[in-house]
Amino acid sequence: MAAQEPATKRKRISKKNKAAWRKIDIQDVEQFLEDQRQEERIGTFTDKQDEDLFVVDASPLKTAPSQLTIKQKRKLNALKPMRSHQALENTSKVQDPIVKRNHVRQKKSGRNIEMEVCNPTKPRHRQANTDRGLYYEKLDKELAMRESGKKLPKIDKDIWQEEDFRDKIPGLKDEKGWISRDLALHVAGNIGRKVVKTHASLHHKTTKAKKFEAPHPGMSYNPSLKAHQELLAEVVEREQSIIKKEQHLKRVTTTMFSKVTPEERDKRRLDEMSEGIKEDGEPESEDEVDPKSADNSYSTVNAPVENKKKSKAARNKELKQKKLQRQHEAKKALKKQTADLIRIKSIRAEVQEEAEELKDLKKRRKAAAERKKYETKRLGRHKFEEPDLDVNMPEDLAGNLRNVKTESNLLTDRFKLLQKRNMLPTTVAVKRKRAKVKRFPRSSHKEPGVSFQELRDRRKAAAAAAKANSDTIKI
Amino acid sequence: MRRPKKYEAGEATQYISRRAALRKLQLSLNDFRRLCILKGVYPREPKHRRRAQKGSSEIKILYHTKDIRFLLHEPIVWTLRDYKIFAKKSGRDRAIKDFRNLKRRLALFPEIKLDHIVKERYPTFIDALKDLDDCLTLLFLFSTFPSLHLIPREQSNLCRRLTIEFLHYVIASKSLRKVFISIKGYYFQAEIKGQKVTWIVPHYYPFKPQSRQEVDFKVMSIFVEFYTIMLGFTNYRLYHGLNMAYPPQFPSSMLQDNEDTLKDETSFVSERIAALNFELLRTDKVQEDEEEPDIDMELLEQDGDSKRIIKMKQEAQEIARLRNLFKGLKFFINREVPREPLVIIIRSFGGKVSWDSSVFSGSTYDESDETITHQIVDRPSLSTQYISRDYIQPQWVFDCVNQRQLLPTNKYFLGEELPPHLSPFVDAKRDTYVPPEEKALHDPSLIETHAQSDDESEEEEAAQNEDDTVDQELLDAQLQRAYQQETAEYKKYGGPDGVNEDEEDADDDFDGEQESDEEEEELDEKTKRLQEEKKKMSVQSGKVHKVNKRQLHKAEVDEHRLQARMVKPRHRNLFRKLIREKQSKEKEEWLLRKKRRNIDKDTKEAKKSAKREAKKAAAAAAAAASQLGAK
Repeated sequence: MAAQEPATKRKRISKKNKAAWRKIDIQDVEQFLEDQRQEERIGTFTDKQDEDLFVVDASPLKTAPSQLTIKQKRKLNALKPMRSHQALENTSKVQDPIVKRNHVRQKKSGRNIEMEVCNPTKPRHRQANTDRGLYYEKLDKELAMRESGKKLPKIDKDIWQEEDFRDKIPGLKDEKGWISRDLALHVAGNIGRKVVKTHASLHHKTTKAKKFEAPHPGMSYNPSLKAHQELLAEVVEREQSIIKKEQHLKRVTTTMFSKVTPEERDKRRLDEMSEGIKEDGEPESEDEVDPKSADNSYSTVNAPVENKKKSKAARNKELKQKKLQRQHEAKKALKKQTADLIRIKSIRAEVQEEAEELKDLKKRRKAAAERKKYETKRLGRHKFEEPDLDVNMPEDLAGNLRNVKTESNLLTDRFKLLQKRNMLPTTVAVKRKRAKVKRFPRSSHKEPGVSFQELRDRRKAAAAAAKANSDTIKI
Repeated sequence: MRRPKKYEAGEATQYISRRAALRKLQLSLNDFRRLCILKGVYPREPKHRRRAQKGSSEIKILYHTKDIRFLLHEPIVWTLRDYKIFAKKSGRDRAIKDFRNLKRRLALFPEIKLDHIVKERYPTFIDALKDLDDCLTLLFLFSTFPSLHLIPREQSNLCRRLTIEFLHYVIASKSLRKVFISIKGYYFQAEIKGQKVTWIVPHYYPFKPQSRQEVDFKVMSIFVEFYTIMLGFTNYRLYHGLNMAYPPQFPSSMLQDNEDTLKDETSFVSERIAALNFELLRTDKVQEDEEEPDIDMELLEQDGDSKRIIKMKQEAQEIARLRNLFKGLKFFINREVPREPLVIIIRSFGGKVSWDSSVFSGSTYDESDETITHQIVDRPSLSTQYISRDYIQPQWVFDCVNQRQLLPTNKYFLGEELPPHLSPFVDAKRDTYVPPEEKALHDPSLIETHAQSDDESEEEEAAQNEDDTVDQELLDAQLQRAYQQETAEYKKYGGPDGVNEDEEDADDDFDGEQESDEEEEELDEKTKRLQEEKKKMSVQSGKVHKVNKRQLHKAEVDEHRLQARMVKPRHRNLFRKLIREKQSKEKEEWLLRKKRRNIDKDTKEAKKSAKREAKKAAAAAAAAASQLGAK
C-alpha cells in the first residue's frame, strides 16, 4: 500500500458545494477509528494477562465423559446466568465517560421488611420482631415433635377439678371479700378472659327414652329356646306389619286404577283431546240444521237474568213476617226455659257427662304427650324409622363361640341410635344423578365393510372347491 | 305505639333454621356440622312448626336461637375459619410447589382445642361417666378400623390406645359387673363411681367394609374426635383416683431388657399394655387389695332394719365376693379363643391368665405349666390334654360372672353341648311367673336338687305332694344361701383371708399329688359328687324351721296396713295403682303356676298309668308263660 500511494496521483476535486465534500475518501480514518473503538471495547492484547489468553493443557487428550446426571446438570445450569439475560449484559470495556454519577434512589412502595428486621427503628418493628421470634420458636418445636413422631393430644390435667376463675387472675382473689363475684366476672370479661356460662337448655334432654337399651335375651349367641322364639316372633310381627302396609299402599294406588293397552290409551287420549271439535262430515249438517243460530251472535243455555224489583208493599210484608218470626222464636225460647226448669236434673247430668268427656279427652291428650316424649322427634325432612331387629335364624345358631354368625353392623347401629336420640337429623344419602349421555357413532367413523381382497379370496376359494369337486367327479 | 309485626315474637324467634344459622355464624355447612357435634348442640323439634318457620310448613332443620347465639361466642369458630385460610394458603403453596413454605404451614396446622368443651358439656365428672356408654362403644368400634377414607389411621390408633387404657382401669378397679355375648358383640357392664357403664365390643373378625349409603362416616368421625378427648380426660381422672400414673406405665422391675426391647421401648411397652396382663405403675406403692370399701357396710350396719338396707347389704356382700371370683385360679387361653374379652374378665375378677406366646406378646406362662387350673378351649377335641386342669369352653367364664359364683364345669367341658347363655340384663328376680326350667338355669343349686327329688320320687314311686317338696327345696336353697353368707361373713370379719386361701391351696396340692391316673381322678370326682349329694340330703332331712304360716300372713298384712297409712295423701292414687298391679301380677303368676302344676300332674299320672299297664302286661305275660310252662 505504501508503494502504491506515491504512484497514484491525488485527485483534485472541487469543494465548491456541500455535496462535493462527500467525495473525499475517509475510509482510512474510519478504519482507524473503528479499530480504536474495538480496542476500547474488548481491550488490547497487551492489557490482557497470559492466563486469560492461553491455557496449559495438562490433561490427557481423551477426557473422561462427564458423569453428571441430568438433575446435576440442571442444577449447574441453574447457577449460570440465563441466556435470555445475556443480551442485557454490558460486555463493553469502554469506561464510563462520566466519572462520578449521582446515585438515584428509587422510591420503594410499602415497607422494607429487611430493614425493619435488621435495624428496627420504631416500637412496632420491635413488636413485630418479637412476634416473629415466637412464631419461629413454636414452629421449631412443632417440627421437632413431628420428627420424633409424638403427636398425641395433650392430656395432663384434671379438668373436673374444682377451680375458681378468680385464682388465675392476679388481684381478683380477695380474702377480705371486697371484690364481689359480679365485679370479678366483669373484670375477667374485660381483660379478655371471659367466663362463659352455659345455659340450661343445652343440657336439656330431648328424649326421655333410656340411653342403654338392654339387648333382647334372644340375641345371645347361644339363646334359650324361649327367648329365641320370642325374638323371632317379634321380628315376624314387625315384618308382617310392613307387608301389610305395603299391600295397603298397593291396593290404594296401583290396583285402584284399571289398566288399558297402549293403543286404547292413545285412542282415548285422542278422543278426549278432540272432544267438541267437530268432525269433517258432521259439522256441515249441524250447521245446516241450525242456520238461525249462526245468525244470532250469542246464545246460552241458561235463561237470561231478569232484574226483578220488589214492590214497596212486598218489602213491608216481608219485614212484618220477619218480625213475627222473631217474636215467635222468643216465645218459644221462653217456653223452653220454663220447661227446662223441670228437667234441670237431666241437664245437670248432661253437663256432667260433657265435663267427663272433656276430662277424658284431656287425659288422653296428656298421655299422648307423655308418650311422645319417649319417641324420636321429627327433625328433618325424613322420618326416623326403627332399624330391623338383629336375629340369628335357627339354622345359624352354632352353639359355640367359634362359629358365631354375627348379624349386626355396629357402626350402622350406633348411627341409627344417634338419630333415634335426636342427635342427628335423619338423612337419606342422595345418589348424584349423572347426566344422560347420548351416544352415536361419529360421522367420520365407518363400519368395517367387506374388503376387495376378502372378496377375491372368497372367489378363489370357491373356485378351488369347485375344481376339487369336478376332480372327484372325474374319478 | 308501633303495631307488632308477625313473627317478631314468640316461637318464630325461638327457632332458627339451619341456613340462617350458617349465615349468622359465617361457616360452611361442614364446619357448622362439626361445631354442633363438638358442642353438643342438636336440632330441635318445635311445637308448632309453621309458627317456628315463619309461616312456611315444609319441614326444615331448626335450632334454638339461643343455642346458635351460644355458638357464636365459641373460640373454636375462629379455628374453623382458620382452617379455610389454611386450606387456601397451603393449596397455593402446593400449586406453585413451594414445599418449604408448605412444610412450615403444615407444621403449624391450626388445631382445635376441646378441653374446655368437655368441661362445658359435662360440668361434673359423673355427667361424663353417664355419657360414657356411647363413647366407649364407638371408640371400641373405631379401634378395629383400618385407615379409611375420612377416617385417618391416627384416629383409630388413638381409639385403640384410649380403650386399652380404660380396660386397664376396669381391671385395676375390679369394677366389671355383667358380661354378655350377643350376635352383635360382647356386652360389658361396669360400675364406676355408682354409675353403670355399658359398652359393646365388636366380635373379633376381619374388618367388613361398610357401604357409605347407610352411614355418614364424616359425622361419625367427628363424634369420635370429641369422644377421644373426653375419654382421655376421663381416663386421667380415673387413673388418678386409683393412684396410678396416667399415661400407663409398668413398674420398671417387670420389664426384662432384651435386644428387641432396647430397640423400641415405647412400642414394647404399648404392646405389653395392650396385652392387658400386667399390673401398671402406681404412684402410691400400696397394694389395693387390702383396702376394700368396707365403709359403706359399716354405715349400713348401723340401721339394718329396713328391707331396702338389707337388700343393699346383700348386694354389697355379693359384689365383694364377685370381685374375687377367680382368685387363685390360673387360666390358659387357647389360640382359637378370642383373647381380649376373656383376659379382661379373668383379670378383673382376680384370676391369672396367659396364652401362647406366639399369639400375642405379654403371655406369662406356658401351656405346659402344671399349676394351670382351667384351659379355655373352643374346639371339639384336643390331642394332648393335661389331667390337672379343666378344659372348658369360654362360655363358662361369662356365665360364672353373670351368676356371681363358680359354676360346676362339667356342663362346659370340651366338646360338650353348652347350656343356653342367658342375658344378665334381664332381671331374673322379676316378679312374674318364671318357669322352673328357667329358674334352674339361674340357680344351678336348684336344678340338681330338683332332678334328684324327681329321681327319688320315681324310684320310690310314692305319691308325694309336690308342692311341699318344691317349697321345701326353695327353703333349703335359701337356708343354704344363708349358710354360705354366714360363712363368707365369718371369713371376712372373723378369720383372715389368708388362712382360707392357704387351706384351699393345700387342698389343691393334695389333689395334685393324688391325681396320678385318670381313673383315680374320675373316682375322686364321683366320691366328691356323692359327698356333695350327701350334704344336700342331710340339709333336706332337717325339719327344724317350721314356719307358722298364719302368723307370717298376719305380720304381712299388718305391715301392709302400716305402709298404706304411711303413704301421703297425694301419693295415694299411685300407691293404689301399684298395689293393684302387684295383685294382678300375683294372680297371673298363680294362674300360670296352677296351670303348670296341672300339666305336670297329668303327665305324671299318664306316666304312672302307662307304667302300671306295662307292669300288668308284664305280669299277664309272665302268668301266661307260667301257664304255658305248666302245660
